[in-house]
Amino acid sequence: MRFVSKKHLDRRTFLQGAGALVSLPLLDAMLPALTAQTKTAAAGAQRLGFVYIPHGAVMKEFTPAKVGRDYEMSTTLQPLTPFKEYVNVYSNLAHHQADSLGDGSADHARASATFLNGVHPKRTEGEDVRAGTTVDQIAVRKIGQDTRYPSIEIATEDMTALVGACDSGYSCTYMNTISWSSPTTPLPMEINPRVIFERMFGDGGTAEQRAARMQEDRSILDHIVQQVPGLQKELNARDKSRMNDYLDNIREIERRLQVAEKQGGFTMQVPDAPVGVPDNYQEHVALMFDLMALAFQGDVTRVFSFMMAREVSQRSHPFVGVPEPHHSVSHHQDRPENFAKLVKIQTYYVSALAEFLKKLKATPDGDGSLLDHSMILFGSCLSNSNVHNHNPLPVLTAGSAGGKLKTGQHLKFAEATPMANLLVNVLHTVDIAQDSIGDSTGPLAGV
Amino acid sequence: MSRNFTRSFVAAVALLVSLGYLRSQSTATSAGSSERALVDRYCVGCHSDKLRTGELTLEKLDLSNPVTHAETWEKVIRKLRTGSMPPQGMPKPDPVAIDKLATYLETSLDKAAMAKANPGRATLHRMNRAEFQNSVRDLLGLEIDAAQLLPPDDESYGFDNNADVLGVSPVLLEQYVNASAKVARLAVGDPNISPVAATYKTRPDLSQLNRMEGMPLGTRGGLLVTHNFPLDAEYTIKMVLARNTVDVIRGLEEVSEVEILIDNARVFLTKIGGKEDTDKVTVNPNAMMAEMATRLTAKVPVTAGPHRVAATFIKKNGAQEDYILQPFLRSTLDPVNEAGLPHLEAMIVAGPYNATGVSATPSRTKIFTCTPKQSSDEVTCAREIFGKLARQAYRRPVNDRDLEPLLSFYQASRNRGGNFDQGIESGIRMILADPQFIYRFEPEPANVPVGSSYRVSDLELASRLSYFLWSSLPDETLLTLAGQSKLRDNAVLEQQVRRMLADPKADALVDNFASQWLFLRNIKNTFPDPQEFPNFDDNLRQDLRKETTMLIGSIFREDRPVLELLDADYTFVNERVARHYGIEGVYGPRFRRVKITDDARRGLLGQASILSVTSHTTRTSPVLRGKWILSNLLGTPPPPPPPNVPALTENTAGATPKSVRERMELHRANPACAVCHKIMDPLGFALENFDATGRWRSTDAGDKIDTSGVLLDGTKVEGPVELRKALLAKPNVFATTFSEKLMTYSLGRGLDYNDMPALRAVVRDAGKQEYKFSSVVMGIVKSVPFQMKQKGGAPVLGAQR
Repeated sequence: MRFVSKKHLDRRTFLQGAGALVSLPLLDAMLPALTAQTKTAAAGAQRLGFVYIPHGAVMKEFTPAKVGRDYEMSTTLQPLTPFKEYVNVYSNLAHHQADSLGDGSADHARASATFLNGVHPKRTEGEDVRAGTTVDQIAVRKIGQDTRYPSIEIATEDMTALVGACDSGYSCTYMNTISWSSPTTPLPMEINPRVIFERMFGDGGTAEQRAARMQEDRSILDHIVQQVPGLQKELNARDKSRMNDYLDNIREIERRLQVAEKQGGFTMQVPDAPVGVPDNYQEHVALMFDLMALAFQGDVTRVFSFMMAREVSQRSHPFVGVPEPHHSVSHHQDRPENFAKLVKIQTYYVSALAEFLKKLKATPDGDGSLLDHSMILFGSCLSNSNVHNHNPLPVLTAGSAGGKLKTGQHLKFAEATPMANLLVNVLHTVDIAQDSIGDSTGPLAGV
Repeated sequence: MSRNFTRSFVAAVALLVSLGYLRSQSTATSAGSSERALVDRYCVGCHSDKLRTGELTLEKLDLSNPVTHAETWEKVIRKLRTGSMPPQGMPKPDPVAIDKLATYLETSLDKAAMAKANPGRATLHRMNRAEFQNSVRDLLGLEIDAAQLLPPDDESYGFDNNADVLGVSPVLLEQYVNASAKVARLAVGDPNISPVAATYKTRPDLSQLNRMEGMPLGTRGGLLVTHNFPLDAEYTIKMVLARNTVDVIRGLEEVSEVEILIDNARVFLTKIGGKEDTDKVTVNPNAMMAEMATRLTAKVPVTAGPHRVAATFIKKNGAQEDYILQPFLRSTLDPVNEAGLPHLEAMIVAGPYNATGVSATPSRTKIFTCTPKQSSDEVTCAREIFGKLARQAYRRPVNDRDLEPLLSFYQASRNRGGNFDQGIESGIRMILADPQFIYRFEPEPANVPVGSSYRVSDLELASRLSYFLWSSLPDETLLTLAGQSKLRDNAVLEQQVRRMLADPKADALVDNFASQWLFLRNIKNTFPDPQEFPNFDDNLRQDLRKETTMLIGSIFREDRPVLELLDADYTFVNERVARHYGIEGVYGPRFRRVKITDDARRGLLGQASILSVTSHTTRTSPVLRGKWILSNLLGTPPPPPPPNVPALTENTAGATPKSVRERMELHRANPACAVCHKIMDPLGFALENFDATGRWRSTDAGDKIDTSGVLLDGTKVEGPVELRKALLAKPNVFATTFSEKLMTYSLGRGLDYNDMPALRAVVRDAGKQEYKFSSVVMGIVKSVPFQMKQKGGAPVLGAQR
């Protein structure tokens, strides 16, 4: 009766078979099988994805030369060529709210915090963090209520090994997420594919065991909900409000369980869980994208945000010939050899996105493919990483959003057009009649 | 809930008396007039209403009553005490006058603090990931890896236990709820546990030519883990050999023997490689890969509970088997090499299969303190078990109202057909998911007016203590003493603190406090460039971290003065670390304490771990090292760089290479940069003899290294020894920073200017005991912010700096 009923594989055989211990090909192999079985009420529903890359882009290699429908992909965007009809490239967008505005040079922290809301984040290291509700979370109110998970937030870097690496004066929170469900609620991003997997498909056992566990989950949540008011009695106002937050979140989990129960009857075969965080970054990224494809397909969620890497990331990319740490290289000093390295990294990011688009396109959904019903926003909130500016930003979208986007264009706007305007368009694609977000001045024309 | 203690003003006043807060104070005579003259003469030139240098004016601030501008004056005190103001090149009063001014300000502010105790805010604290792991260990006798169960926690003010930012989200809470199920199942040994695979991986840069610590003699490389087996059953243990970047398994040319050991006893031995195998690989690579995978998989019966599982290679002889004549220490330097010896990439433990039962594991022994003889005993026994667990989990005496819901979970499980153990498992699940376990509730007493400060209850103090010193739950001793209201007795408190510091659980102070304070955790993500540093591998990375952990641990445990963190004349090394440092006569993977003969290596500034995490991948960074010293040792972090700073030029191929120092000097020529870099860089320059992995060197880019510089207070230093001596010349400064960091960690919140009087009291009292570690801890434990709380909550203040 649960939304997941796992094929009864002999686990022993299976685990031996999974000898290569890389879970990625496994998920890959599962996708076609899943496709055949997908028969959900969600077919054709709108999906949104938001993909963040750190440290901007080498704009002259990112921006296509020609404008309009008749343009050619730039060097960095080359991997998107097969999906040109689905892609829009937006030039001259800027996030002015990520600028200093008197708050010092912490442009990295502000970049991730501003990207999806156009709001200048409050400079603080304490609990009083404040940014803006991000566009993904506004969309969730409309399209996230029928799925078990209103949204899923994922990343690739273990934030715990980055002590002291946050921008000065700004809480690490600002760099650890791009998603805020309210101006004061940053959403943590999960890096472990195994955890994401278990969230989506449960942690093993038979269907009956999972059903029993779910029932127990419900009773536990019930008990907590009943108990909290008593615990709140002797707390001060601030702590009471913290407990209210806690309670709201517990209720949200209850709601999700109810949705999962309602989705009973929906069955799909589930691949075995990935073992954990892969050592290999490429594999990690591909696995995360695969999981998101599965999530869209199984209608586990309709909204995700994914930080492919965090601002100030010092990850090296030897697999594309850049063993140097990313952040160091990103201070390129206008030297050609550094530009070349950055373009390699950025092209890799785009190629990983292209692989994801390929899967969405190959997955039938309603009257078309998942890609027809999705819109993936991809970009960075830095432009020139050497000087930490936020204008013009490297931004593109992929997917037709159910026909609500005129895709296949390179659109060039007036200089320093607020990127928040594009975020308004994003809201419009999911029929949210909101005409402003952050510092937007109205939706972009021609989109 | 019974609260057998009274909290009232009487208690608060008693505390203030015991803290010496109500002693009569002699009043300052001239009410700041001479201090005003000094400030006018030496400070107001820049810090005037007109100039506002550094956004600060001291022109009209009332010095007769400093408390009216406490926040500003606390900043002034910090600058004066660290000798950073007045700056170099400006007229300075003599040190005695500076000390007098600082003392005047401190005395005035401290006096005001004594008159009105201000404990600051104490936000409702959610257990973080590390605390959850330790609490489960102490509650259920079960070792878990919480990183596999819970999301990471954000860091603020340098630590991830900051209550203000330990928020909640549906995702996070859902993981806590899910974790409760998994942990309860493992702890009880639920027979319905489905088989799962746990994968343990080696880092790709782990060298495996020599014996690893904890492995039997005559072996080389491999992996050793403690794995928790949930049931008495069969398990498969599969070894995965490392492949090079073109997917070929390394080192198959000769025959190698591989073994698996459980608790040091061999349970499996197989051979891999040699002519027969390599021939087969040539004929049909895929079939052979599959065959080898099968050959490398053992199926073994194991009893429930934690066991040490090792997979390792039998070492054939000591000779280096490789084609390279002078190999580097890192055996995996060449990513396409397929020669040499095989390396283990991963070990996968999967099971249970064909379970036969569950033996007495540490967790079952801890949980099942009674066994029902007949079914009529079951509920009584369940009640006993839950009573004991809930008391420790909720950290207070429990009553029927606490036990009823647990018993109803027990009953629901029985009604679903579960046995007694599974009923207990359900109750444990509820305990672990309960907000009273996850949160540290400190209910406010009714009989205290809002805005007044009061002493927290003994039970609350017990939790504050145990989460500070152990990152975990209080034990039965603490709970009993607290229940008897004895913890408020200073003698008992001191005795308990000493007992807790002596307990191995106090290692949490090294793992969670020191590792974060000193950025030691970052070594996990430190990857020196393999071209520049071909000898740096994961073995060294782990060993360097261990060295520093052991050094700090010994200073804490042996209750040495914290100043020894800077100049300990000993450290801990094994062969690998000794080789890195050029220490002779140390062999094997085991760590041992050695006396330091090279003065440059003494203390934290000589530790290669610290020197590595403060370097770039290809070179040293005097800036990062200088910043690290300013922030973590001197307590005066530099302001962020201005925007649009041009970066330092790197050496280019073909051009004459420049030393790091030469390049830094160029960049300090820019006045906007120089203002801070002339403070940071000299600290870093003094350490330039240590390369980016902490090895000693005397040249950089062919030039002799110049380690000379002038510190912010005008002291000239050259090299690490003089730098260390300069830092130690102001012991109070380092002791203050250490205490400030430890206090931040102990309270789980950032300190602000209101906390400075309490901090000064800690440092002052510790100074009377040579700044022994326990004296700092004791001072913090007895401080107003640690012992008290303000009803209604104190307002949130901005960062002090």
